[in-house]
Amino acid sequence: MPRLLYVCEGGDCTERGSGDLHDKIKEQMASFDPNEERVKVRRYPCFGGCEAGINVTLFPDRVFYSHVKEDDVPEIVEHVLGEGKPVDRLTGHVQQDVEEIIWEMLDSPY
Amino acid sequence: MSNVDLDAKIPNNVNLKDDKRLQRALEKWLPSFQEWWSDMGPSDFNTRDIYLRTAIGVGKGGWAHFDYVKMPEYRWGIFLAEPSGDQKIQFGDNVGKPVWNEVPGELRARLRRLIVTQADTEPASVEQQRMLGHIAPSLYDMRSLFQVNCEEGRHLWAMVYLLHTYFGSDGRDEAEGLLERRSGDPDKPRILQAFNNPIENWMDFFCFTAFTDRDGKYQLAALAESGFDPLARSTQFMLTEEAYHLQTGENGVGRTIHRTAELLKQGKDPRAEGAFPLDLIQRYINFWSSASFDLFGGEDSTNAAEAFASGLKGRYREGDGIYKDPQALNQFYTMERPEGDRMTTQEIPLRRAMNALLLDAYVADCKRIVNRWQRDLTKFDLGLDVTLPSQKFNRRQGVYSEHYFTPEGELTTEADFEKHRDEWLPTTADRECVQSCMIGVQEPGKIANWISPPARGVNEQPFDFEYVKLN
Repeated sequence: MPRLLYVCEGGDCTERGSGDLHDKIKEQMASFDPNEERVKVRRYPCFGGCEAGINVTLFPDRVFYSHVKEDDVPEIVEHVLGEGKPVDRLTGHVQQDVEEIIWEMLDSPY
Repeated sequence: MSNVDLDAKIPNNVNLKDDKRLQRALEKWLPSFQEWWSDMGPSDFNTRDIYLRTAIGVGKGGWAHFDYVKMPEYRWGIFLAEPSGDQKIQFGDNVGKPVWNEVPGELRARLRRLIVTQADTEPASVEQQRMLGHIAPSLYDMRSLFQVNCEEGRHLWAMVYLLHTYFGSDGRDEAEGLLERRSGDPDKPRILQAFNNPIENWMDFFCFTAFTDRDGKYQLAALAESGFDPLARSTQFMLTEEAYHLQTGENGVGRTIHRTAELLKQGKDPRAEGAFPLDLIQRYINFWSSASFDLFGGEDSTNAAEAFASGLKGRYREGDGIYKDPQALNQFYTMERPEGDRMTTQEIPLRRAMNALLLDAYVADCKRIVNRWQRDLTKFDLGLDVTLPSQKFNRRQGVYSEHYFTPEGELTTEADFEKHRDEWLPTTADRECVQSCMIGVQEPGKIANWISPPARGVNEQPFDFEYVKLN
């Protein structure tokens, strides 16, 4: 199972600039992991935490980042690559049940 | 490939100018499309300036350009997502082989059917919604409707490009057929039944965009995994635009529930205030979600198995590498099936359950949105709930059709179902109630009483922004 960093591209997150954020994360990750052997960066249709967007999740680590801005990208990349801790100020902004539904959706038994 | 030619008659990033034959064919199709839009697109608002988002590219910052546009002048175009290098087929019998840039002969008929079925839904939904502008609850919502309509038109262009480019004269005929069929026409209906019912009010529209367009998202996502690379890249970009349509529905139903809860909290009867009681909204959710479950086709399907095996249609997020076996061999899917008056479980080969797997992903997503509505409702402390019905309820397709289930998913009898029908599904009185509230509000910053304003405007504009210039 690869590690997956998903950037939400739901309507609200998109209007807040999730397209550019995705590109910036992808660009910064590429300097460390050009072939995405360690982490794949992908868009995800919607996480449902719209009021706390832009949302970014790391799976299967189950880290749910919210209110993410482009300035946060270096810290997120550092964490994702195993060189830093989860960025605490960006976690815990959506309700626990929203997170649980998302982990359930991302986890395929097949 | 990635250079966007915006000045061309047909904006594109597929180097259309280098393929004169294709360019001529599509330029010949353009006036037919414009005529169709004029006849069957949104009624009466084509001369108005509307604050629309137009895709002007697929890359960073390029896809969302906002400005006032008259709908017939919208820059419909052909945009494929960027190729990502050395692409390989991610699933099925051809896993690991290079993706196809031409249609394999043996898959031609199946692929054409997949594309035409998807393409047919795009103009169909525009036709279904063509009268709604007149009864929009606000200018913000009117603009959302037209945005959705224009982008569905662009998605039709994306599919027509594939038909013209890769399917020769058959493809050109199919492209003509897409403009000849009409939603609800008994002689030339749209292919899928759900796209033949008119959408005459905004409750239906919001439920349609929340549930039925969401089916489209899952179908597109499965096609975005396709081994036929031009199809995969077309649908990837369509998904980006589709997200807005789903949000329109999700937020629209949510705002309707919010308004009802506000009125109830004030001790008012929603009906008396020109709004909808919660049980009516629940019946609309029951109807539209169950009709949308049907769009996934039979849960046990050899056709779906073949589409997967051949590499045409993958599982949701197949390319992310989340599945244990990209060939889906030697695995089984456990399915509940009715047998007489009881339920049994049956294991079927996973490949035959591809529609069921896609439906499962869809249902999980629907649970997420209903849960979101419920969270908002809970804040009002009214002791009321909204729920998603079981995927067995009110089905016309698949293993649960021809049987009767309660919204909770309990097997029941036809007599019991009929006894409760008016509790579970919209009634004539419900439709009359909804229709009676459909009064167009066309003043900036004003909104009908049955719905709350959105939390935020479009592109950071305020709610009272003049999203549609009517004067």
